Amino acid sequence: MSERPTAQELTEAIQEFLGGEILPTLTDHRLRFRMLVAMNALGIVYRELAALPAEDDAEQRELARRIRAGDVPPGTLARVKADVEARLHIASPRYLERYG
Amino acid sequence: MIADVREAFQAAVTEALGREVEISEPVLLAGGASKEAWAVDADGEPLLVRRAAVGVIHRHTLSLAHEFEVLRAAFETGVKVPRPYGYVADLAGREAFVMERLEGETIGRRIVQKPELEAARGLLPAQLAEELAKVHAIPAERLPFLTAAAIERMVEELDEVDEPHPAIELGLWWLRENRPPARQPVVCHGDFRIGNVVVDEHGLVGLLDWEFAHLDDPVRDLSFGLVRAWRFGMDSRRLGGIGDVEPYLERYNELTGLEVRPEELDYWELAGNVAWAIGCLTQAQRHLSGLDRSVELAILGRLGSEVEYEICHLLERAAA
Repeated sequence: MSERPTAQELTEAIQEFLGGEILPTLTDHRLRFRMLVAMNALGIVYRELAALPAEDDAEQRELARRIRAGDVPPGTLARVKADVEARLHIASPRYLERYG
Repeated sequence: MIADVREAFQAAVTEALGREVEISEPVLLAGGASKEAWAVDADGEPLLVRRAAVGVIHRHTLSLAHEFEVLRAAFETGVKVPRPYGYVADLAGREAFVMERLEGETIGRRIVQKPELEAARGLLPAQLAEELAKVHAIPAERLPFLTAAAIERMVEELDEVDEPHPAIELGLWWLRENRPPARQPVVCHGDFRIGNVVVDEHGLVGLLDWEFAHLDDPVRDLSFGLVRAWRFGMDSRRLGGIGDVEPYLERYNELTGLEVRPEELDYWELAGNVAWAIGCLTQAQRHLSGLDRSVELAILGRLGSEVEYEICHLLERAAA
């Protein structure tokens, strides 16, 4: 399940940071060149991600809507927790280790 | 620094202090999206100039002028805060105010971890309770512009983000189903946690960042610092990563007579997590909307999942 920022949007944010804030501070020619190469590589990642089909969040929207409406049958928490755990494996895998 | 801006600082500090002074070169300490913090010395006296940055203020934060009023009220009622000097309507085109620059540690991770602050951490629970009790005693009439907050405001913010977050919805649902009896609203700091306090070897030096001040249930303010995200890695110390909740609650109850029960803290700790989970999303939206392009803001959209996991964890415990 996707969330924002998408991988593509994250790549874009990194490109802007490197190009806008780091690159201008580099005075070493070799380092500048390698930064430009790295940014080029990020561009490739960006375009590859852009080519992927958009993720469908209809199921999550339906679940959120039901909970908002007060429809919370037994098992909802377990389901929701499992979904969050799956997202955390991508977003912050070491965070789960903090729970005894 | 550009000469005009330097002159503008000179004029602002002179105006705020009410006397001619020689200022040092202003140093930008932190350039948050909505606020700037400049360190400047006036005849050697350490000052901090808080100045509006370019761009829209967060919704539900006070204007700089109102924030300054809250700081003044807190100072006058004896809360440990930087001494406020003066509000300046125009410092090189933007509002600002001048206050004392407190010496000490403000970085959460360092307050929680530095060995030199071990003794200070032992003192903090009682000291934090003492200052918060004073804040909650500030008469609301003194600050007539403060508004009341409600859980509904959080829901509005979530709706504006327009993304599905079932864990947050579940948290909101539980909060609605399990509301404790409402307490009389008081003046609240609004962001009372490690990260917004100055600490030195003697303990608490002062409270900072009053932009989220508002009227609310005092226990909400009391519990915000318990949120796991604000323990800076020291998860086992429920009070801001620095200590236990019991001495903090006991001292607060002693001073206020409010007889806050541990279950109320649990409730509002969950509410604090829900608020911060939504906060992560709105911060990410500032980047995604183009208002403030920043990779630190962007990534909060993903790190919000940590807070959602904590919400699930707290809900499991509540059901047990």
